[in-house]
Amino acid sequence: MAAEANNAKPTFLSPPQEGKKPIVSLRGITKRFPGVIALDHIDLDIYPGTVHALLGENGAGKSTLVKVLYGIYTPDEGEIIINGRPTRLTSPADAINMGIVMVSQSPQIIDTLTVAENIILGLEKYNHFVPVTKVYKTIREESKRVGIKIDPGIEVWRLSYTQKQLVEILRAILLGAKVLLLDEAITYLPIEEKQRFYKFIRRFADEGGTVVLITHKIYEAMDVADKITVLRRGKVAGHLDRKEATIEKIRALMFGERSAEITYERLPTAQPEPKTILEVKDLWVMGDFGGYAVQGVSLEVKKGEVLGIAGVAGNGQKELIQAIMRLRPVMKGRIIYNGEDITRKTTYYLRVNGVGYIPDLPAKYGVSIENSIIENIAVLPVYSRGIINWDKIRELTLKLIKEFEIKTPSPDTPVKFLSGGNIMKVLVARELTVATNLLVAYNPTRALDEATAIKVRKIIKEKVLKNKVSAIIASEDLDEIFQISDRIAVMNSGKIVGVFPADKAKREEIEHLMVM
Amino acid sequence: MFESIASFIVGVSAIFLAYYLAAVGHGLMEKSGVLNLAIDGVFTLGVAIAFAVSVYTFSVPLATFIAMIVAALFGLMLAFITTKLPISHGAAGLSTMFLGYGLAALVGLPARQLQINGRSLATIQPSLGGTWIWFYVVAFVVAIGIWYLVEKTKIGAAIRAAGENPASAEALGVNVLAVRLFASGVGYALIGIGAAVFELAYTQVWSQGAGMGYGWIAFAISLSAGRHPILILISAMIFAALDKYRFLIAATYNLPPDVGKMLPFVAAIAAMIIFMVTPLKRKLAPPKSLGKIYFREERTV
Repeated sequence: MAAEANNAKPTFLSPPQEGKKPIVSLRGITKRFPGVIALDHIDLDIYPGTVHALLGENGAGKSTLVKVLYGIYTPDEGEIIINGRPTRLTSPADAINMGIVMVSQSPQIIDTLTVAENIILGLEKYNHFVPVTKVYKTIREESKRVGIKIDPGIEVWRLSYTQKQLVEILRAILLGAKVLLLDEAITYLPIEEKQRFYKFIRRFADEGGTVVLITHKIYEAMDVADKITVLRRGKVAGHLDRKEATIEKIRALMFGERSAEITYERLPTAQPEPKTILEVKDLWVMGDFGGYAVQGVSLEVKKGEVLGIAGVAGNGQKELIQAIMRLRPVMKGRIIYNGEDITRKTTYYLRVNGVGYIPDLPAKYGVSIENSIIENIAVLPVYSRGIINWDKIRELTLKLIKEFEIKTPSPDTPVKFLSGGNIMKVLVARELTVATNLLVAYNPTRALDEATAIKVRKIIKEKVLKNKVSAIIASEDLDEIFQISDRIAVMNSGKIVGVFPADKAKREEIEHLMVM
Repeated sequence: MFESIASFIVGVSAIFLAYYLAAVGHGLMEKSGVLNLAIDGVFTLGVAIAFAVSVYTFSVPLATFIAMIVAALFGLMLAFITTKLPISHGAAGLSTMFLGYGLAALVGLPARQLQINGRSLATIQPSLGGTWIWFYVVAFVVAIGIWYLVEKTKIGAAIRAAGENPASAEALGVNVLAVRLFASGVGYALIGIGAAVFELAYTQVWSQGAGMGYGWIAFAISLSAGRHPILILISAMIFAALDKYRFLIAATYNLPPDVGKMLPFVAAIAAMIIFMVTPLKRKLAPPKSLGKIYFREERTV
């Protein structure tokens, strides 16, 4: 996207008028989901020619707000005003018609379609029965203009993550975007690609376009935004001009008094013993839709260390973790746990032999939400072989509730009545208790806010240090990987592309390996 | 020898066209992501409607047209309820299938009574005046037309997008409901025409349950060709020949006739396995979201 300043072609939009009116205004936007208010009377003005960052911790409502702006969700209350006119957006097609286009963190373009097919789907000026090749010329010209090299006839599955994001941007431009919604779209790009995107964003705004940048990374917002709005628990916590914004101010708005607890300092490095607890040798595992998601992965975890697996979602981490837990068949290769080949053993075997497991999406895969806390603990095979000793389980549950500060009326409360953070605590507490030897985890703190997440990481690391438990933790959150790991393995396209000692690893290098 | 090949080509033309149209229509609908388990019921109903209208009006075009329209309405209904509401495709499809069986009896029996009392049935004879040539022409034109539509046009891309990932498709600007209505409406219209051809050009008789099971064979034909409009030509031809000559084959090789009935499904399973273990799987794999409930207002954490 190299700047090609002397371009005769008309640019994105007419230049911004001074003293301008907002291009998008939100008034009292409220969206409820069963059990939560995701957005609580949001007021927001977005002006043309600006880069407006929406910041907030996980679950603050950023994504919901963007989906409302893009017509994916309809708000329960409130008004969306576009160019001074109240507007109802009932589908992305409506939003695109109004010049609002979203690019999200996970590319929305469809793998089995070509670049041109993906792009033409949103272009109204082509009727339904035109051949897709009609759009090739436009794509070639426009991609040259913005400095992206792309073959319109190539199928998307052949592209890298960065290339896919570039196609998304190109698509937005071809759709005539006046308002570009970037939902964590650049968060996972490597530094140098990020810089190119920043330049592009700046130029787009200077030419009168509007960018809404949704991110949970404070630095990203401070790098490029003119205005920053912080969301907290579904409400606007504050609006800031770039000039007045500081990290501390933003953090205070994002987390309130808890911001003091936030630190991304690395937790103490473990002193692992020479014994290997988990060894994976040339592992091949299929993905959900055919094709190998894990392609010849080898790694090992020593007793009393944390191996972090960094990677962008969908690069085989999920399949690797599931294969280790024996939840997914191994096509080739071996898994050795505690000196024993477990490649053909069952999950049950691992669970009764000191392995704890924290899956992704815990409310779905980690607990049974209709059952009580005590039942969710009793269900583990370590406790429920034969007859369950309920008195003992109750005692253990009460102890865990106290230790992990789980907020619940009683141990007999069905899990579904707890908050997301507390559900996660139930799971972590339970798994850490059974993980006498090894903890296997995937995005263990994704459902938690920053302050709680850090607390959970501390608890895990403490257990590793004190009890010499080993842990293999895959996470899409690099901050988490850096904070908790003793060694970091980077996973990309099903392969381990680098292993680093965490105290010497360079963030840029790892980011680069994640998306190259 | 030459004569027997010629008589073979003429002989299978009607059942070939019937199978082809039903299978290609089925494939088109499923490309958009709607699992089609209603096909056998609606095919059976289409057969009964074609028969009844032909008896009442003595018009082959009108009979074909009405069978097509009624089938298309079923297609629209299936696409609508499975896309607009979180309803299981399997449950909706199988319920519709039984509905089709019931309605077929309701529609066909009075006309059958009339026929017994002396009213005649308008039919179309493939062997007369080279009609059979047109049957092949229609099949080839439809094959190229549907192939071009699905693989080369914007709406074709939209249909495939809706079948692969409806949520993403929606975000890309596809109206998933409209696209599925289109694919299912056109798909079922083809199934309806196929049913009419089956009745009026192939069997030319009707009794209760006529056509039952043939919808499933069309289903298997589509599957065994990976829903590809051109490949379906080949598999439809094979199964047409099997159907036409199954008694002959069974007699010649001394096989039970039921073996012939099983063949399409054995072939479908074998073809699916072949697709999935060879590089063909990218081109001929089923749509990823086929039969999945698509419901927009679900929160994704």
